[in-house]
Amino acid sequence: MAEFSKQLERLEAIVRKLESEDLDLDEALKLFEEGVERLRVAREQLAQAELKVKKVLEVESSPSAPDRPVSPADR
Amino acid sequence: MGQPLTEGPGPGAGLDLFAAASTEGAWTVGEVTRRARAVIEAGLPPLWVRGEITGFKAWRSGHWYFSLRDKSAQIRCVMFAKQNYMLPVPVDGMQVFVFAKPSVYEEKGDFQLTVSELLSTDRDGLWKLAFEKAKASLMKDGLLDPARKRALPLFPRRIAVVTSPDGAVLRDIQSVVGRRWPVAELIVVPAQVQGAKAEASVCSALNRIRRLPVDVLIVGRGGGSIEDLWAFNSERVARAVAAMPMPVISAIGHETDVTLCDLVADYRAPTPSAAAEAATPDRAEVLAHCGVLGQRLARALRIASRHVVERLARTGDRLARCMDYRLETSGARLTAYGARLDALSPLKVLARGYSVARDDQGTVLKSVAQLPSGKEFRLRVTDGEVNGRVQ
Repeated sequence: MAEFSKQLERLEAIVRKLESEDLDLDEALKLFEEGVERLRVAREQLAQAELKVKKVLEVESSPSAPDRPVSPADR
Repeated sequence: MGQPLTEGPGPGAGLDLFAAASTEGAWTVGEVTRRARAVIEAGLPPLWVRGEITGFKAWRSGHWYFSLRDKSAQIRCVMFAKQNYMLPVPVDGMQVFVFAKPSVYEEKGDFQLTVSELLSTDRDGLWKLAFEKAKASLMKDGLLDPARKRALPLFPRRIAVVTSPDGAVLRDIQSVVGRRWPVAELIVVPAQVQGAKAEASVCSALNRIRRLPVDVLIVGRGGGSIEDLWAFNSERVARAVAAMPMPVISAIGHETDVTLCDLVADYRAPTPSAAAEAATPDRAEVLAHCGVLGQRLARALRIASRHVVERLARTGDRLARCMDYRLETSGARLTAYGARLDALSPLKVLARGYSVARDDQGTVLKSVAQLPSGKEFRLRVTDGEVNGRVQ
């Protein structure tokens, strides 16, 4: 999943460019299509309904990755 | 008898006593106080002194004058305005620690302490002393510099939390993040936040997070006594927090207890919930923002394509006009052809009085041979058909 902030930054840049510059229709259409796609992906990301919670256990040897998902009941 | 005078009046000089006290032999008051001051300043570096305040007086200049005493002795103290301006005014009888430079005030010949820090021991004084020492050390290394504070990420993907795994702190954070920004992933790194092992446990939790791809870290601990919060006042924990590669939000104790961890963190939140809010955007707002962007996108495209659409419209008009003209001329020609076809039509011939005879097959009967006596036929005239028979 592309980073949400990058997605939104690009989308904002597209809107600004489309609003401020005198573009060929071709180019404008390309930007528009990209914008619509990014908007779709951003909305999809926002639609994620449930917070994922992972617990990094107290084991000193467990190095880098979060190692197990935790359900709300584990709290 | 007597000894030659080399430096100042010697003890037990008999007849030379008077000579020793002569203008040449005696020290001036200024010389002796200056010398005493040099000796004291060289022999007693700045130090922490504990005692009870007595004779406190704040001058209009803002300077404080008082004495520190214990059961057996007392020392005069001065604390200048530029050192004391942030402090609450102490009162006589208060037990304090002062950090001070022993010296001699030459004009009065007084042995005194020039105080640069003053802490009350009355409440949590010892903790405070340790705190101030650690704070001074952090400050010396620039770790409390406001310029070090990093901005929090707007849209965090991973939020790490160092806290007690079963406390209200985690519950609060989880609920706020779940409501505002479930897009993120919450990475919980449990730590002991109280007791003898707390310092080591928090440091090890921080160490583990250091290597994780985390956008922002919350260090949280519920309220408690200053002793309970001790781990978050440890210089070791503070330095570990300061060294984290990602922005750190600190939510330790109640709002009134400022810990070292709070001071080195990039953001200090009054409560764990507030920390979670600071770490996250509100999804509803972000969605609304996306909606606005979508509208702007569509509008911008409309504007960007306006010229083309206008051109298309103009071209369409021309095309239509062109077609109209073509159709008109074609229409006229059709009418002409129609008239000519009309003239050739057999119906016209019939109208002029001719008729056509056909047999029951529809074959046109053109010659006598086709019309033997008794042959039945149908005769087409201009306004219909009639049956006939050859006689």
